[in-house]
Amino acid sequence: MMGKENMYPHRIFTHYLIFFMAFLLSMIAVHGVDATGTEAGFKKCLECHPGIQQEMAQKGRHEPFKKYQCSSCHNPHASNYEHLVKDKISVLCKSCHKGKKGSFDKKYSHLPFEEGACLKCHSPHSSKNPKLLAERGKQLCFGCHADEEMFSKKNRHDPAKKGNCLSCHSHHTSDYEELVKKSPERICVTCHTVKNKKTEKAHLNYPVQGANCISCHNPHGSNRRHLIKENSHKPFAGKKCTQCHNPASSADPLGMKSKGMSVCTTCHPSVKDDFRKVNTHVGEGVFCTDCHSPHASDEAHLKKAKEKKICTACHQDTKERLKDKNNKHKHPSVMEGKCTDCHRPHGSDFELLYRTDEISACVDCHKRHATFTHPVGKGTIDPRSKAEINCSTCHNLMGSPYDFALRFDRKKQLCIQCHKGY
Amino acid sequence: MRRKIKPVILLLFFLLISATALCASKSRVKHLTSITGNSEIGRFGLLGGIFFDENRNRLYFTDTTNGTILAFDFDEEFKYISKFTGGGALTSPTSIVKDSKGNFFVAEPGKGDVLAIDMGRKSIKTIDFSAVYGANPIYPGNMAVDSEDRLYIADKANQRILLFDSSLKFEREILVKKSRGLKDIKVDSSGRIYVLSTIDGSICVYNSEGNLLLRFGTRGADKGEFDFPTSLAVDRKGLIYVADQHKNQVLVFNNKGRFLYAFSQLGWREGRLHRPSFIYINSSGQIFIVDRANTRISVFE
Repeated sequence: MMGKENMYPHRIFTHYLIFFMAFLLSMIAVHGVDATGTEAGFKKCLECHPGIQQEMAQKGRHEPFKKYQCSSCHNPHASNYEHLVKDKISVLCKSCHKGKKGSFDKKYSHLPFEEGACLKCHSPHSSKNPKLLAERGKQLCFGCHADEEMFSKKNRHDPAKKGNCLSCHSHHTSDYEELVKKSPERICVTCHTVKNKKTEKAHLNYPVQGANCISCHNPHGSNRRHLIKENSHKPFAGKKCTQCHNPASSADPLGMKSKGMSVCTTCHPSVKDDFRKVNTHVGEGVFCTDCHSPHASDEAHLKKAKEKKICTACHQDTKERLKDKNNKHKHPSVMEGKCTDCHRPHGSDFELLYRTDEISACVDCHKRHATFTHPVGKGTIDPRSKAEINCSTCHNLMGSPYDFALRFDRKKQLCIQCHKGY
Repeated sequence: MRRKIKPVILLLFFLLISATALCASKSRVKHLTSITGNSEIGRFGLLGGIFFDENRNRLYFTDTTNGTILAFDFDEEFKYISKFTGGGALTSPTSIVKDSKGNFFVAEPGKGDVLAIDMGRKSIKTIDFSAVYGANPIYPGNMAVDSEDRLYIADKANQRILLFDSSLKFEREILVKKSRGLKDIKVDSSGRIYVLSTIDGSICVYNSEGNLLLRFGTRGADKGEFDFPTSLAVDRKGLIYVADQHKNQVLVFNNKGRFLYAFSQLGWREGRLHRPSFIYINSSGQIFIVDRANTRISVFE
């Protein structure tokens, strides 16, 4: 008996060995008949895909394509991905293109790059343009960014006019917002000198070395001279710098005349009460400039940027939620980035800084729902939480995979959350 | 020989599984009950802060919308005791704490005040901030009281903690540097001060002298990172619990700031959370959470 038992490991080993050899041979066999990697093999692909012949004639070709290695990206038999590519485009491209010295790992990414949509800008096989770009220069960028108002202004920045976007912007990633190549304080002085009499005079002798030029000038275009942003703060427009700052000749010319929010509330006193709410955006120092530009802006109320950008700068998780492609149903204001349609930007005594109680805020626009809807508000009780039913009991306005931004599928789960026994 | 090894391997495997299961069960937090509004006490509005009086086994919390402080006694279950409006003196009370002498301190950010309420003498006074200087007018956020009855007030408008002695004389300030969005403060039995800032998701731990001992926490999508942290609490073992309003969870860290586990999830049924805004832990280990969008206090242990 003992002898037989001792034989088992040998038998198992032999079986494994046979299986392994068979597997190895089959792999070699499969590889041997792989049609790609040779011109003859490529011709096999051409039989069904004649269009790629034309692509092969282009000057700039993707290295594997040039070498007829179709199977380095495609699986000739089956794939979970379109065009039988071996993996998601983002994963596939990055398996070879890893970026130089962490250049892909910077803080800010171009949206197509972040989403792995490499083919939005690049052709996978060949192109007449360098870097396999689908279009040359500004045509490529303006394919997505053409609508942007700033390019149609009376005065335009020279690189923007010529479409030399890459003079200032990086294409994949950057350490700085808007994918600019250098910090806002350094990017403009790459071409422009600020240490000259003309510039000093234009800034009423206030020092501008090391300043963020983009806070007052639009780097693309403006209807105003010197590319100054369209709307100005009154003291700025009236060259009354000393209304807020120390005189230019003082030891600390950029220092403020008063402290904290009083810099702003001295002239805007009613704003003080806005921040004295249960939920507030009150902050440290001159926190008004967290959202508003004190000098000039292209936005209404001198907002520093578009509303969505300002809000998501702090509400980062909301930014991620808005980007989630599963949440395809969103409130129109959310999609348009108009956060202040529902939320008060300074403060509110209502939850989530709503401008009024939730139901009133909704029926302001959704008037029909004021008279005809599922019972909501006073006297209603959500049987799950024992709380009052309101609009957000069923809707998630920030984004949902279901129709009408409902929290659950209305054909399956929504109603039976509360109405049991159906 | 092989026959002897097999049982040993099996035993080790069994022990490993048991140890893992034991650890998992230890970290599990159980939902105990929920306190909701009803026909007797009325519907709750926007709920503010919580305080548990260990001596009286009594829970207090503020209803900001209705301008009230509600009291519930705990004896196997929570029983409604009374409602306090201060004769209309309370308008929008948020944070609430109580000292060992029985004085309540209630923040009224709408007025920029902290009220000192002596229930016995039926007096309500406003704490004097005239000795406190700062760039912005004080915005009183959450508060804490230490074992020596010192009052700590998070001043959101100046990113600092204001410290008042037991006679309510301003003692000093602790600047919460390199953080944004000061939100909550708790003090443990040893006098350590725990401060949460929402915008950068940081938790700073200071000793009683106000020296920074530990800083941890960040916002992000990874395990142990915050979406939108709103409140923190410390249990008697020194574990730090952080309520995350957008994750609808409570994240638990050890006293070195290492993430341990999280509990609860988005939901409406008991035990689930919907936009938790405040957390408080009493000495028996009961965890009270203002489950704001569910308009209730959820109690775990």
